[in-house]
Amino acid sequence: MDRLPTRKFTTTPGTRDILPPESTRLLDAQDRVRERFRMFGFREVVTPALEYAEVLEEPKLRDTSFKLFDPDNQTLLLRPEMTTPIARLAAQSLAGSPPPYRLSYSLPVYRRASVGRGQSAEFHQAGVEVVGSGSPAEDAGTIALLVDVLQTLGLRAPEDFAVVLGQSAFYGGFLRHAAPEAAPRLLAALAAKDLVRVDELSRGLPKRIGAAVREMPRLVGPAADGSVLDEAARYAGDLAGGEAVAALENLREILAHLDAHGCLGAAILDLGLIGRRDYYTGAVYEVYASGLGFTVANGGRYDNLLRRFGKDLPATGFAISLERLISVLPHEEAAPLLVLVGASVEATRTANELRSSGVPVLQLAEDLTPEDASRYARSVDAAWICYPAGPDGLKLVPSEAGSEFVLVSPEGVAGEVLR
Amino acid sequence: MSGLRVAVPKGAIFEDALRALGGAGLPVGVLRENGRRLVYEANGTEFIVSRPSDVPVFVEYGAADVGVVGKDVLEEQEPNVVELRDLGTGACRMILAAPAAEAAEVEEAIERAEIVRVATKFPRTARRYFENRGRQAEVIALHGSIELAPLVGLAECIVDLTATGTTLRENDLVVLDEISSSTARVIANRGAYRLKNPEISVLLKAMQPEGILGG
Repeated sequence: MDRLPTRKFTTTPGTRDILPPESTRLLDAQDRVRERFRMFGFREVVTPALEYAEVLEEPKLRDTSFKLFDPDNQTLLLRPEMTTPIARLAAQSLAGSPPPYRLSYSLPVYRRASVGRGQSAEFHQAGVEVVGSGSPAEDAGTIALLVDVLQTLGLRAPEDFAVVLGQSAFYGGFLRHAAPEAAPRLLAALAAKDLVRVDELSRGLPKRIGAAVREMPRLVGPAADGSVLDEAARYAGDLAGGEAVAALENLREILAHLDAHGCLGAAILDLGLIGRRDYYTGAVYEVYASGLGFTVANGGRYDNLLRRFGKDLPATGFAISLERLISVLPHEEAAPLLVLVGASVEATRTANELRSSGVPVLQLAEDLTPEDASRYARSVDAAWICYPAGPDGLKLVPSEAGSEFVLVSPEGVAGEVLR
Repeated sequence: MSGLRVAVPKGAIFEDALRALGGAGLPVGVLRENGRRLVYEANGTEFIVSRPSDVPVFVEYGAADVGVVGKDVLEEQEPNVVELRDLGTGACRMILAAPAAEAAEVEEAIERAEIVRVATKFPRTARRYFENRGRQAEVIALHGSIELAPLVGLAECIVDLTATGTTLRENDLVVLDEISSSTARVIANRGAYRLKNPEISVLLKAMQPEGILGG
């Protein structure tokens, strides 16, 4: 029987090998993001890919997690996000040092992807968490860092992206005070982003409350002009109750700090945004880039999450989805690289000399025809090829097919290649 | 000049969608000119025409900024989009139906929690309906001619959409239960809803039927 065994040698659904140049773009973006995180005083941590299933409370996240069993038959899961593991870490491992803890991470997370929805089962997140401070200055500080990161990577606000900012305690607080019976159904409708259902439910309420319930979650506008907050305050009027009033005041303070950071122009207010996770308690935000239908980053305040781990510490933070981020970045030239063709000792010596003058060199220890050398150079994104030519000279050729060579001295190579 | 890309569904609610969008000042006339194109452009607004069940997909992925689609499709797919306006048109009902001769028998089988086979274009809706009744059903997903399934013994009953009930009567099917009712909705991509909010707000305001939100 000569039947071939059926083997699965592809990557599993939703996962993939990331190859150059995409892997280079991903890792470069990761490096630059880390550099900005450090500039704002965040220190990077690494947590295990596996967590006990109990660590995660959010039902939606538990449902989408990959699960497995440890030797004691405990349910484990592959982390579907980083906020909860960092909350666990802060409560468990940092108890001896004074808060606030400013922690960052850049790690892959795992979620069961639905087939046919273009989703990945493994993707890379980079983010920060500030644990142990309830100050609106920290909410604004993390938003400003996020804007800084996106701008460092070449995106401009508001043309290329915007941070959409809401306050999950505002609408919820208003409802708990003004329409407590309808509140759970209204919040469920808003969480499903079903404003039609909000309209339907509002019709059973007294006129003024109904109008406020209907219009508040539809208030969207630039943060730089005060109209959204003014309208929110007008609808709330004397109906609001302390929680909603405090939430609006909290937003005003965050906006004042964002103004001081010089990034108020990047923010859009949306009082219907209450965040996709149940653990959000205050300011919540999502980053949208033009031309991409999904969030590039999202974050917010989660003051109750650490109670789960036995510590009562307020916290705020965000996560950037790196694959989505690099998909919207402006195109960048490949890093300079020279392919030096030659298997001789002389070629090896030349390669070393060139590297010490700062030129990245890939020595190809084969004697290839110019056509094959050019094909090889293009396959590794090298713009230049060179051949040793006598004691003091090199033949330098651009890797595009049909290019003419020039004779240069080893010292002259850097000037051409690193231009 | 709205600068928006709008997804319009073919079929039953095409005319309703055009009337609503046209009433809001969008240049929908271009959609009537040539029935074979897929993308139409006029005065800065782009229209794409697709199957109703694909409209939420285009909108969720940001390939269209806004779209018009029946609530039945939204309930079946649960896409991550913002649902903004009920147009009140294209009304229809999601129903459970069975051949008149066997209706009582099917009803009894469901009561006794026997497994029944259900043919439908809306498998998630059907499963949810039976789960809410505390029952399990064998759901068979088909893409068209659902009424055929009980006639040839593929299924005992169907979950389907009906506007007038004509097709049901013609095939001698009777309604056992009404699952939900549906009308045409305006949906928007989550990003476009924020980044193009001024344009989308203008569109929604112009579409708002007068008096509907008065009380």
